[in-house]
Amino acid sequence: MKNEKTEKKLSIWGRLRERLTPDEMFVETEAQANKLAALILFCSGLIIALILVLTAFGLFLLPMESVFSPLIQAFAEVVILIIICRVVKYRAWWLKHLLMLAIIFVYARLDCVVTHKAAILMVLPVILSSRYFSRRVTIFTSLVSTVAFAVSAVYGATHGMININIVTMDPGITMITTGGFLGDTVKNAGVSDAMLIKNTMLFDYLPKWLMFSIATIVSCNIARRGREMVMTQHEKDVETARISTELNLATRIQADMVPNIYPAFPDRREFDVYATMDPAKEVGGDFYDFFLVDDDHLCLVMADVSGKGVPAALFMMASKIILANNAMIGKSPAQILTDTNAAICSHTREEMFVTVWLGILEISTGKRVAANAGHEYPVIKHGDGSFELLRDKHGFVIGGMAGMKYKEYELTLEPGSKLFLYTDGVPEATDAENNMFGADRMLEALNEEKEGTTVDILKHVRASVDGFVNGAEQFDDLTMLCMEYRGPEKA
Amino acid sequence: MLQIKKTVTDGKAILAPAGRLDTLTSPELDAAVKETAPKVDELILDLAELEYISSAGLRVLLAAQKTMAVRGKMTVKNPNETVSEIFEVTGFSDILNIE
Repeated sequence: MKNEKTEKKLSIWGRLRERLTPDEMFVETEAQANKLAALILFCSGLIIALILVLTAFGLFLLPMESVFSPLIQAFAEVVILIIICRVVKYRAWWLKHLLMLAIIFVYARLDCVVTHKAAILMVLPVILSSRYFSRRVTIFTSLVSTVAFAVSAVYGATHGMININIVTMDPGITMITTGGFLGDTVKNAGVSDAMLIKNTMLFDYLPKWLMFSIATIVSCNIARRGREMVMTQHEKDVETARISTELNLATRIQADMVPNIYPAFPDRREFDVYATMDPAKEVGGDFYDFFLVDDDHLCLVMADVSGKGVPAALFMMASKIILANNAMIGKSPAQILTDTNAAICSHTREEMFVTVWLGILEISTGKRVAANAGHEYPVIKHGDGSFELLRDKHGFVIGGMAGMKYKEYELTLEPGSKLFLYTDGVPEATDAENNMFGADRMLEALNEEKEGTTVDILKHVRASVDGFVNGAEQFDDLTMLCMEYRGPEKA
Repeated sequence: MLQIKKTVTDGKAILAPAGRLDTLTSPELDAAVKETAPKVDELILDLAELEYISSAGLRVLLAAQKTMAVRGKMTVKNPNETVSEIFEVTGFSDILNIE
């Protein structure tokens, strides 16, 4: 039992340590970006294949001899890159550069063929590179693109589709076409390569490059912002992990604050106590307590702090200690509540309060003295009777108002009597349609199992509540205690 | 889930929360009380439309009661059966002015 607990604690610290460092997070985003780049490459491969097919069937008006070789090369490149990606599982520090180069070269080849028809091709690799959230990669892509597309522009000007808009001719030249493309006629008219290259660079590449520069600036900015967002997210994740670790520890500390080892009094035959505490959040404001004041007096406490979560839990810890300290020195229940109220009121400013039911049983006689500070009615089963609500005298909640006085009452438990204490989380457990479990259903559940042991009874009530709420979210703490009085020890 | 109807007439304010007053909704009433209470001598909480009140809601009433006790008077009106029972059980019926 203890080992299991320690292991669990370790695993929580382990989880915090195992959280990804920023570097590891970038490895993760890089792998995702590689996948995206590979996908784009794959799609480009399909487009190239489509161009080849359409050209082969004569639907695309491109000269097959100039198209075939660069496109086949580009296609082969796509296939090789995708195989590499698969082999290294998209994770290798050099893969991003290789992918960017591959995409640039594939597009540069396409650019050689279709030249001025595909201005957007030059911008695509840079835009894609911003997904790596690294300005370095984007700048690298931008520089390589500048060179590669300059080369493809030169090559395309002389070997690719001719852009007749940039061909200048001396005045007075008359051209006679012989059918086919106008471009072919222009080409055959003997325009010089130097002029074509010069004009392509000036009228085609230069404006393209200027637009491309703008895209580079935008992409660098996206990359930087992306990086910042990943970092911020990482900080938040670490913070969330820290809080959840602390809350986990708090849950355990709180659970260990109340007696939770059963059977609680293995050497006492006269009575048996069993209790469960189930906070709606990590920590809660409910608590129970039971302890022997002396050999003949058993003190039982059931309490519920207003509100939930951490504030309620802090208040609960203080209330529990003050109550127990007052009880242990042998005061009467009413005095315990009065003094606890005075102690709490002198410290609280936040209008927090706690409802408390506290009873002290004289084990040898079955005589019980109890006091109720704004807590739910206890449920009692006398001897062979049934469980029923005990509409006891109520005082005001503890911590609400200074100077409150509490009254106590007496009742005698016969052997076989049982006492069930609970917090409002039980009758006010709510199903999806906002119906409450209610005190009647609670009594019904108790009576169905009235002859059972204290453990059986609490299990049965819990099962009834769970059956009733049917999966609706538990929004209040659920705490129950059952005591069975078997009568004094026979001498 | 909580609607608060507010009526203020010379030195007297009526707040009528409708719905459920629990952990989620009580800050709304708390804000309304904090805004209204310092300006009036009498605060009336009309609970006719209030279906349910949790301990978080009681906390708001307690704070309101304490504020108004210093500067005037607070009255709680028309609580339904469920709410009355909760006032009874928690002892709030002893410290609140319920009509």
